[in-house]
Amino acid sequence: MATIHEQIDELLAADLHDELTAAERDGFHAHLVECAECRQAFQEGKNMNRILNETIADKKADLGFEQRMISRFRDRVPKRSGLISLVADLLRVRAVQLTAVAALLLALAQMGKMITGESVVPALRNENLMLMSELQSDRDTPGESRVSGVLAKTDGRSKGDHLMAQNPPAPPPQDKPSVNAPKPQTEALRSVAKTKTNELTDEKTPTSAADTVTESEYAVEPSASSSANSVAANRKLVRNATAELEVVSFDESIQKITDFAAEDKGYVATTSSEKQANGKLRGEVVVKVLPDNLDRFLQKLRGIGELKNQALTTEDVTKAYFDTESRLKNARLMEQRLIEILKTKSKDVADLLEVEKELGRVREQIETMQGELKFMDSQVAFATVTITLAEKNMNIPAAFLLKEKAQLSLYATEVEKTYNEIKTLASPKVQITTAQIDRDNTGRVSARLSLLLAPEESEAVINKVKGMARVENFQVQTQRVSQGGDGLGENAKTERDKVELNITLSRDEQEQSLQQTTLRVRTSEVNEKTKQLRTIAEQQNGRIRSSSFSRDPNGREYANVSLRVPMKNYNALMQSLNTLGKVENVSVHRDDRPNAQIDEASAPADVSIQVYSQGNIVSEETGVWATLRRTIGQGAAALMWSARMIGVALAFLAPWVLAITGVGWVMRRVSRARRERKQAAEDKTGLS
Amino acid sequence: MTDASEHEIYRAAIRGDRDAFETVIRSFSRNLFAIAYGILQNREEAEDVVQDTFVKAWKSRWRVRDAEKFPAWLSTIARHRARDLARRRRPEPLPEDFESSETVEFESAGQKADLDGEVRSALAQLPELHRIAVTLRYFEEQDYGTIEQTLGLTNGALRGILGRALGLMRKRLKPALASIG
Repeated sequence: MATIHEQIDELLAADLHDELTAAERDGFHAHLVECAECRQAFQEGKNMNRILNETIADKKADLGFEQRMISRFRDRVPKRSGLISLVADLLRVRAVQLTAVAALLLALAQMGKMITGESVVPALRNENLMLMSELQSDRDTPGESRVSGVLAKTDGRSKGDHLMAQNPPAPPPQDKPSVNAPKPQTEALRSVAKTKTNELTDEKTPTSAADTVTESEYAVEPSASSSANSVAANRKLVRNATAELEVVSFDESIQKITDFAAEDKGYVATTSSEKQANGKLRGEVVVKVLPDNLDRFLQKLRGIGELKNQALTTEDVTKAYFDTESRLKNARLMEQRLIEILKTKSKDVADLLEVEKELGRVREQIETMQGELKFMDSQVAFATVTITLAEKNMNIPAAFLLKEKAQLSLYATEVEKTYNEIKTLASPKVQITTAQIDRDNTGRVSARLSLLLAPEESEAVINKVKGMARVENFQVQTQRVSQGGDGLGENAKTERDKVELNITLSRDEQEQSLQQTTLRVRTSEVNEKTKQLRTIAEQQNGRIRSSSFSRDPNGREYANVSLRVPMKNYNALMQSLNTLGKVENVSVHRDDRPNAQIDEASAPADVSIQVYSQGNIVSEETGVWATLRRTIGQGAAALMWSARMIGVALAFLAPWVLAITGVGWVMRRVSRARRERKQAAEDKTGLS
Repeated sequence: MTDASEHEIYRAAIRGDRDAFETVIRSFSRNLFAIAYGILQNREEAEDVVQDTFVKAWKSRWRVRDAEKFPAWLSTIARHRARDLARRRRPEPLPEDFESSETVEFESAGQKADLDGEVRSALAQLPELHRIAVTLRYFEEQDYGTIEQTLGLTNGALRGILGRALGLMRKRLKPALASIG
């Protein structure tokens, strides 16, 4: 059979390894009988199988191999304790891993929130919401007895109601009214307690002071039989009042107050007054009136002027009064006893002296206490009203002072000379307070002077100084200072104070020019024309400030001259410049100072002149060649520029390209290696 | 051992049951040894490979999804490790080198030289998979089905592989075999 013959190797091996089916074996052996070649192969195969069995058998693992493997495995992988291994095994499960990662992330987020404090806010908000709902439910069911601390804060009133409804037997009332211990047995009583608390809060209102006492008494001790009037009469109350009034006339007001006091059976205790610089009066009056008339008196006071301030105090000295009274009683009894002792048992001199001493001490006490009682009586008998009176427009100034400050900046050609000239002005009415001249190392000179001028001399002196040099700046500052008060004093007189004059002197070189001009003059002989320019400048009162000369490789010559002339000579100078050559590129810049008080004619003008020649070489900047050269030059420049850009782009991209190529190369290598390995494996299987 | 109980043991081993894993070691260490020897042709190295294979398998056992493929997975590990070792040992590709030296030896030593060495050299020249198949078969004399399962081959593939391996060896060893015959 052709197939058997072709598959001889496979069948042969399978036959030797006893892996053929019966049918296959029969077919195979039948073929062997027919085919000599395959018979030969079969013989060889059998031999080889035998040899292989012999040679390879002793290479195989020995008997103890498995046991060795196991014991070595045990050595290398020691057993872990139950929990750790459980955790380790658990961590290998994908779901557990995912959960752990999620939990970790969540924990991190929570921690972040905790650190930033975000989590606190929502929690609080929730709590508030909860409380709100609780409150709501509470309002819906008023009979419910839930009273929490927070609720009490958010709605104190409702809590109070709840408390009243729930507290059946309140503790017996104390001698003082207490808001926290009401006795709510009946609806009426409760309302009384409420009004009482309300009134206690505005205790200071003067009219209710007496009423408060009576009403609170009634509220707290409803069972007390004593009438309100008798209680009030037994009280010892010291009443004091203070009032501050603004009045038109002080004396008139004093008169009125005295009248009022007399009407109310009182008297003026003390008066004091003080006259202000502007002639207004301020003072204090202390009035004693009967306490019962106090309120009426205060009411009357309002008619005198504008009430700025009023205070009324009531001090209850009842307890102190009666304490002192009873102590006085005791002391008197003691006195009686001592006198009796003195009368009856007068044997021992030492004892006698002792008793005398004690008697003296007791009498002293009695006198002190009597004095105290008297003082209290007087205090109670009359209320003290302290009235502060002030006339209107207290703050009107008494006089004004005109203070003048002048600031003068000057430019002088010779600073020192001008400085000395100013100094010669000194006289009793012109006082020089400071004079200072500065000279720095570059030779720049500046001076500063401060003068104090008598008001009548000031203008003359200032004008004199102005004439000495060019004025850059002049400022006068006038200030009206009110004396003793503020506001508009219509009748106050105004005085002129001495004038303060500050002068700064600087060299006119430093002055900024009013006008700057730049221009070019083209000529053939630069040197010659520059010399000419100098003479022109001198003629026009100008000063050369700087000059320079240069020659470039093309033979062109430049002379730069900058000079300064007074404005009045400027036009003449410009005219004469035309004689030098062709005037080009004139540009003029003028600094207009609209409000400056300067003398324009003598103000400086700067002129920068460039005298230049065309050069003796014909310009190369025209003609076909020049154009061609320029074009090529520009082209080359453009080319260089683009090359530079390419360089930049390369530098920009190169690292990335390199990196990506590198990664790509590595990946290709890896995949190729993998493919090769796979290929090799496939090849081997495919060989069969 | 039935298939079902075997799979049960594999699953237990994968879950981390050490006893089950030791059972696996006991039943597979010889197979793995045969595979490693097939590649390395050296007993000591092959033993080390088997050892490493089990340690590695224990550590990464959770990677096995399908318990049925556990044996094949073990043999893959062993093959990789053995191959790594062989590569480290012999950086140059061996076939030509081997052949030339062996032929020289063969001719110089004469026809009745070391038959053992000849067989070994013939074996060494086989492709890796073929070599493994031959060692597996002759070491443990397992049936084809078991070997296929161990190597993760499809049903019936081994017959072709072994047939080709033995055929190649037969042709290589023809002179020696003829002399014996």
